Amino acid sequence: MMNYIIRRLLYTIPILIGITLITFFFFNVVGGDPVSIMLGKHANAQMIADMRHEMGFDRPLIWQYFDFLKQIVTFDFGRSYASKQLISKMILDGAPVSLCYTLPAFVIAMLISISLSLLVAFWRGGWFDKITVIICVAGLSVPSLAYILFGQYWFAYKWGMFPISGFQPGFPEMISYIALPVIITVVLSIGGELRFYRTVMLDEIHQDYIRTARSKGLSERVVMFKHVLKNAMIPIITNVVIEIPFLVTGSILLENFFGIPGLGNQIVEAINTSDFPVIKAQTIIFSLLYCVFNLLTDILYSLVDPRVSLK
Amino acid sequence: MRNILLLVLSVLVISGCTKHREEVGAVLNVAEVAKIKGMDPALAEDQYSATEVSRVYEGLLQYHMYKRPYTVEPLLAEEMPQISKNGLEFKFKIRKGVMFQDDAAFPNGKGRELKAKDFIYSFKRLADPKVQSTGWWLLEGRIVGLDDWRAAATKSGKADYEAKVAGLEASDDYSLTIKLTKPVPQFLYALTMPYTAAVAQEVVEKYGSDFLNHPVGTGPFVMAVYKPTEVMEYVKNPNYWPATFPTEGAPGDKEAGLLDDAGKRLPLVDRVVVRVLVEDQPRWLHFMQGDIDAVGIPKDNYAQAIGPDGNLTAELKEKKVSLSKDVAMDLTYTAFNMESEEIPQFKNKLVRQALSLAMDERESIHTFYNDMATLSQTPIPPGIPGYDPDFKNIYRTNDIALAKKLLAQAGFADGKGFPTVVYDTLADTTSRQMAEYVTKNLQKIGVQTKVNTNTWPALLEKINHRQVQLWGIAWAADYPDAENFLQLFYGPNAQPGGMNGSYYKNKEFDKLFEKARAMQESPERTKLYRQLAQMVANDCPVVLGVNRIAVSLHQPWIKNWKYMEFMTNAAKYFRVDTDLKKQLRK
Repeated sequence: MMNYIIRRLLYTIPILIGITLITFFFFNVVGGDPVSIMLGKHANAQMIADMRHEMGFDRPLIWQYFDFLKQIVTFDFGRSYASKQLISKMILDGAPVSLCYTLPAFVIAMLISISLSLLVAFWRGGWFDKITVIICVAGLSVPSLAYILFGQYWFAYKWGMFPISGFQPGFPEMISYIALPVIITVVLSIGGELRFYRTVMLDEIHQDYIRTARSKGLSERVVMFKHVLKNAMIPIITNVVIEIPFLVTGSILLENFFGIPGLGNQIVEAINTSDFPVIKAQTIIFSLLYCVFNLLTDILYSLVDPRVSLK
Repeated sequence: MRNILLLVLSVLVISGCTKHREEVGAVLNVAEVAKIKGMDPALAEDQYSATEVSRVYEGLLQYHMYKRPYTVEPLLAEEMPQISKNGLEFKFKIRKGVMFQDDAAFPNGKGRELKAKDFIYSFKRLADPKVQSTGWWLLEGRIVGLDDWRAAATKSGKADYEAKVAGLEASDDYSLTIKLTKPVPQFLYALTMPYTAAVAQEVVEKYGSDFLNHPVGTGPFVMAVYKPTEVMEYVKNPNYWPATFPTEGAPGDKEAGLLDDAGKRLPLVDRVVVRVLVEDQPRWLHFMQGDIDAVGIPKDNYAQAIGPDGNLTAELKEKKVSLSKDVAMDLTYTAFNMESEEIPQFKNKLVRQALSLAMDERESIHTFYNDMATLSQTPIPPGIPGYDPDFKNIYRTNDIALAKKLLAQAGFADGKGFPTVVYDTLADTTSRQMAEYVTKNLQKIGVQTKVNTNTWPALLEKINHRQVQLWGIAWAADYPDAENFLQLFYGPNAQPGGMNGSYYKNKEFDKLFEKARAMQESPERTKLYRQLAQMVANDCPVVLGVNRIAVSLHQPWIKNWKYMEFMTNAAKYFRVDTDLKKQLRK
């Protein structure tokens, strides 16, 4: 397995180089010149030229690309064009804040949707299954912004159950601030997740080995938990592990509306201000995380399914 | 499993239940609608960062909080400067006994006294290319020797702060002389801006590139909590110099109770809490809940705040909220690229006049501004010398018959043969709706348009590279001088990145503009400004839009509140009636 992991890690190097080339091309070659934004409304040609020189934008592109590679290797992405803050610090500060609400929401949504999916699969075709599917489809049809606006207005403002917005680090202070974003994220996730897991469970439930298990006289509980759930683990793992990098980046809308200083908040600000260093850094980090978690998925396959071997 | 889930959700809900936190002392709670870009005066480009910087830092001059028209008065200067007859030399006396706030950068952590040399250092910093200040335009080409000092710093790659600049001189600790290269009457306004505030060299050197996170000024408040994307808290500066509340104001201010605190030591509140609330809904709900003391009315909440009669709704009246409506010193306009290769017809004045006539701004004021805007007749907004309330611009009368006639004279009867014009705008909903409105108006005279949406950086870049044909934009005053608006049409500003995006070039305009901007305020200068404004109105390098009315609400417990266009350090004048607040928030 070690050989496999090393080989997969080596494979990620050309992938990452490809990502750096694409990212660099988009932001440095066709992405436009951020200097006008940085200088504001009183810029003139001389000031733009001076700033371009100071920022090193007048250097050959190849050297600018090497600088970018160096930043990735050293995890020193310089400072944001817009806020002038250290980007590595911004990311290190923002990622845990995003995780504060995405992680519990992810775990809760996963537990609820897997449990419910077992139940609806068990009672497939019955009223509980039908109602659940209708609710899921209806829930998916409502835009996420509507949940946020509704939740913030009624639960926070009208009924005073939560603060309207804000964030407080540390436990338990943060609970009141993340509670509503967590609930909204769970509600937003469950529809899609539940439908996916329901399909997975139904696929398994119709397999021959399940019929065999039942004919052997095993209880439904054993059938569902020991056979169906265990054999559904491969698609579940794929779905769960691939979602983890998205937890770090947070939700742009939720963070903006609830004033949560996470990475989602930073991304929207960076896009609005053409803050290329921040966007580049986040793109690279996200790509790295994606590669790592992809590898982790493969490793987990071999742990839950003895038929899978990593060569 | 289900029990565990119920337990988790219960904990979330129960712990979420909130109540108002008890405030200690008089606290001013405000909201910024954008994230703060650091606390370095040299980088305080946007209004929000400038406001935050001004709580901690101070400059030589400031605007009087209550007098109108806006009047400049001394701040860290002991008195207004002595200006030489030729307008080239400004002699300042610096206020004695003003202390920088305590910080580890000073010996024993105790702030030292402000000296004249601090201003010389601060001005040099604006010129230092490494600082990348967005405020360099204020001093560029204006102070003797400073451009050369900057050029040397650019060449060597390092600024020499010990090198003398002939135009900046401190004969003693409290005397500062500034020598200008040419008469610039607007220079005094530059000295009211946060860009030119005093910073201490030892603080800048101690924190280096992290200086923007360590504000240490002479101002009324000391930074206590700094989370620029979230919240900032300031506490009263215990060593603040003895500044007092003004004893004079505009007519009617005394009667309105705005001068009740005359002579009291500033600041009047113990703390200022600033929340960064970018989205409209949370900002509005926080105001309605009483968490923040003042708010501009978000577009979607307008009907909730203002009734059809233009007054507050019953809900807000019950909360005893106050409404303020003031004409903002800004201008919206639709610009023609007069050097567009695709639409060379924009060079033709008749075409521009016809398009200007086709735009019905009155309907747009109702639709897009909730009737909170006035039609611009010239580029000079109300409240600035040069504004002429009696001038009526015939090209803003929405006379479609005349528009068609002018277009026909230009050779495009009913728009036949006129190329399709690309209208560039921003991608947000309101901008797109406004673009559709422009399209609808121009169709009335047979001119077809295609709308192109952009992000703000992309639009700016297109304007800078002359890749636009027709686009909507706005300009907010930097200072109360018509020169600030008329420079948008000055020929030499027609350059990549320059302010004259229309590439309007009129030698007569340029000559008169150069003459007027070098004059001190006088009836002659006002006459020249009006003449220049009328030239723009007649030549139509842009379709003039509106002057917006700033509509804001503030809570009943906030006292001494008055709308101010340029004042960024107003928080020191506000008083919070804590008893009334407690009573109303029960």
